[in-house]
Amino acid sequence: MTHPDFESLVGAHSAEIFAYLWRMVRDEADAQDCLQEAFLRAYRAYDRLDGRAQHRAWLYRIATNVALTHLKRRGREAARRVPLVPNLPDAQLSAGEAAIRRETLAAVAAAVERLPEQQRAALILRKYQALSYAEIADTLGCSAEAARANVYQAIKKLRNELGEE
Amino acid sequence: MKKTNDELMEVSRWLGDAPGAPSRDGVLSALDALYRGFPAPEHTRAAQAKLRRALSGERARGVRYDSITGTPLGRVFFAATTAGLVSVAFGQSERAFRDHLRAALGVEAARASGQLRRIGQQLREYLAGRRTRFDLPLDLRALPDFQRRVLLAALEVPRGQVTTYGEIAHRIGRPSAARAVGQALGHNPMPIVIPCHRVVASDGSLRGYSGGGGPRTKAWLLALEGASDK
Repeated sequence: MTHPDFESLVGAHSAEIFAYLWRMVRDEADAQDCLQEAFLRAYRAYDRLDGRAQHRAWLYRIATNVALTHLKRRGREAARRVPLVPNLPDAQLSAGEAAIRRETLAAVAAAVERLPEQQRAALILRKYQALSYAEIADTLGCSAEAARANVYQAIKKLRNELGEE
Repeated sequence: MKKTNDELMEVSRWLGDAPGAPSRDGVLSALDALYRGFPAPEHTRAAQAKLRRALSGERARGVRYDSITGTPLGRVFFAATTAGLVSVAFGQSERAFRDHLRAALGVEAARASGQLRRIGQQLREYLAGRRTRFDLPLDLRALPDFQRRVLLAALEVPRGQVTTYGEIAHRIGRPSAARAVGQALGHNPMPIVIPCHRVVASDGSLRGYSGGGGPRTKAWLLALEGASDK
């Protein structure tokens, strides 16, 4: 029966949620806006949550909704922006190889953007936020089996799209 | 078929669902390159600072206060955010109540024009013995964790009964914290509504009271509620 004050939730989870949003929206400034929006929503709803222990999954759920809404709006607004691809200094790659590598990364990033929302979120939650399938289920409002299926389908779809069958 | 199974195993290893190190195929290693990194620490700190500013703005939004007069306890002040009640006080001036809100919430509260009527009405009915329980949303977000738990436990003590500081400490899973419970209740931001008057010392003495008038008010409230005198 723990019920931390809201400030300690911010202290405990904001960095992790920020990293998640950063991965989901792939833009520094957009991730900041989403973080603010997610925690403001959480703050406004917080008192209705008395007695609940699942604050982390709850914050992930709100953050997921904020990120997906944001991606929809962004997708509608702008001509789709070039996906953010990290600059990877790699001494072992020639200039030509590096260019090919960048193209591959851009293609994968674009394919991830085309994944169904739940699959995209499930994949990032599992692999990069290290959530268990039970926690992903809490976050996405589905069963643990469905959470697991979403992750595997995401990878299958990416491999199909990128001709890696 | 064999190939499909191998691929599945590969993905399971990559996800950490199966033991063993994955060999790194194209898509999986590209995903890692894209997503495994973290935002730079200074960017995370900047995002958190921006978030904290937004939250303190949100906290200050819409704090209103009002008062009722002519109750057995005199003038009773109360304040609420858009989420619920944050403060009740009596036996003090309007200026002192505003000072108190500024210190507790960090906001300059505005005087309400009618929005808080329901709170005033319930307090008036309660103090006149015409109401047995409050039906009001409470906003406890600004309070520290421990105090919040103590106050929520005090809220569970039924009308007409009393309990002890030690019992509350026990209920929140901190059996040795009776003294800290006493202090948390001593700073009850909304006496009467959160019934800290129903919590007494283990020898049955009333001990202190957070509201105006001290133990005399506590005894009066218990009598109003028909608590058996132990």
